[in-house]
Amino acid sequence: MASIVRLQNVTKDYGQGQALTHALRGVNLELEAGEFTAMAGPSGSGKSTLLNIIGGLDRPTAGKVEVDGRELENLSKTELGLLRRDRLGFIFQSYNLIPVLTAIENAEYVLMLQGVETVERRERVRQVLKEVGLEGLENRYPRQLSGGQQQRVAIARAIVSEPALVLADEPTANVDSETGKALLDLMRELNEEKGVTFFFSTHEEAVMRRARRLLELRDGVIFNDETNNNGDRTHG
Amino acid sequence: MIARLAWRSIWRNRRRTLITVLSIGFGLTCAIFFIAIGEGVYTQLIDQVVRMQAGHITLENPKYRDAPAVDLWIKAPESLRSQIESLPQVERTKLIIMGQGIARSGSGNVSATLMGIEPSVELETSPLARHMVDGRYLNDDDGPWVVIGSELAHRLKLGVGKKMVITTNDAAGNLVDELCRVRGIFETGSVEIDGYFIQAPIEFARRLFGLPDQGVSQLGVVLRVPEAQESVLNEIQLLAAGEDIAVLPWQTVIPEIASYIKLDKGSNLIFQAILVFLILFTIFNTILMSVLEREREFAVLLALGTKPDQLRLQILMESFYLGLIGCALGLLLGGLAAWIVQVWGIDLRSFLEEGFTISGFAVSTKMYARLTPGLLFGTTGLVLVATMILSFIPMRRATRLSIVDQLR
Repeated sequence: MASIVRLQNVTKDYGQGQALTHALRGVNLELEAGEFTAMAGPSGSGKSTLLNIIGGLDRPTAGKVEVDGRELENLSKTELGLLRRDRLGFIFQSYNLIPVLTAIENAEYVLMLQGVETVERRERVRQVLKEVGLEGLENRYPRQLSGGQQQRVAIARAIVSEPALVLADEPTANVDSETGKALLDLMRELNEEKGVTFFFSTHEEAVMRRARRLLELRDGVIFNDETNNNGDRTHG
Repeated sequence: MIARLAWRSIWRNRRRTLITVLSIGFGLTCAIFFIAIGEGVYTQLIDQVVRMQAGHITLENPKYRDAPAVDLWIKAPESLRSQIESLPQVERTKLIIMGQGIARSGSGNVSATLMGIEPSVELETSPLARHMVDGRYLNDDDGPWVVIGSELAHRLKLGVGKKMVITTNDAAGNLVDELCRVRGIFETGSVEIDGYFIQAPIEFARRLFGLPDQGVSQLGVVLRVPEAQESVLNEIQLLAAGEDIAVLPWQTVIPEIASYIKLDKGSNLIFQAILVFLILFTIFNTILMSVLEREREFAVLLALGTKPDQLRLQILMESFYLGLIGCALGLLLGGLAAWIVQVWGIDLRSFLEEGFTISGFAVSTKMYARLTPGLLFGTTGLVLVATMILSFIPMRRATRLSIVDQLR
């Protein structure tokens, strides 16, 4: 399979002098299309930093980052924006939906940015919202939805443009465990049935068990990378 | 969708949006109303003064302005006059002979200005005839009859029908005097006009000052619409090209009024600038606050791939909507208030004594606004454009924020 992400000796430092913090220390990583990979590690281990760097939201201090065949170092701010818009999907821990847009409008936002025509846009979004279990709730505003429903909208927004990779930063952290499991089931389904590549961070055991590949990050270094081809699909 | 997002965003904080919109509306209402009142007062003042004096445009001897004297007369050919009167923007032309003299009666003498006029023309154009308090205004058949100001009549103890003598130097420099009788007494409220001003039929003045037939001090042109002044002035200059005649705007002939208006407009401008500044500050504050409290949201939009230009457009549209609603409100209320005062006027007699004068010219105590499309839409457009310009700083801030810091 083709590599979607390739990281070579990526480091990221914050601050300087005595306040210098090494968030990432020489990370090497390769993710292939269709993977369903979780990244675990305690708080401050560098998970979010790594996701931000892969997503082109932050730049590494050193090292090479290649996403969807493009070296991010060579891309301008605008080009990074276009890469995110066209090739990446984001799911945030706190959903980050636009409060004044309805579920369907939130989900279609990226398609609008891509210039997809309204009729096609609506058709695609309705289909995706149906797939994520939000049929009938399309016209509700985020405040009218539960946490789990909001995260489903965020998932719909992330996948509707059929990106090469969906990056999710602790997507189940703000919902109860049952909802978290349901969300993870949904992501797995999308991965298996639609071939969406997921790379997400978590520090929950249950979530880690559901991943096909699990990376463990500690002090800015990947110290464990294991594959679980079956992936636990049972609840609990 | 950006337009929808912008529209809904401004209504997130309804109270703040309403306060902002009302501030814009109130400020614009005040601006339109007071500018219209100012324009109305200026127009009224100019209209009264130019109609009483030598019109919006004056034709006179080129040397007359340096030292106005009766010997610096011009010959106003009937052909030139009728050509000028045939211009569509011209209401009337008026012949004037101006000279200084001493008015004498049995009770004393007073230095006075004598203005020779065509009574029938003045009746149509000048407001003086409306200020008669005793007797009547002149007519074309009146021979050696004059109208005088109430203060002059008081000083010389003159009443209607009484005799007075005017002594002066004629155009040749000879000391001359003429007997005349008082046809009527006017009172404008201006000390300068009521105390020293005499009007007489032009033939009487011509005889008194020893001017030839068609000899006048000035040929005044009264316009239907003051805005046409510049174009009519140019046309008259062409018509009078062969004559040794200066064609002047009223601003040159009555510079004290022009200076007063300029000065007053300047001080009004400061007041208006403060008003507009306050409106704009409110808008700026709202937009900035609204951007500052949504930095995380803007970071999300940028993370999803929104181009900085699209984000700028969203903020610009939010400002535009705020400005548009506020301006529509201000345009409606300010326009309505000014229109009411334009039609019915405000009577200031309760606040001002009769005899309100500006630069010695009496001004009516009934004040009218003057509303023009330029004023209405110019002021509104200015506030709207300024509102959008003000969003540049919040825009800049929103597009330069650190996505990672905001999402952390």
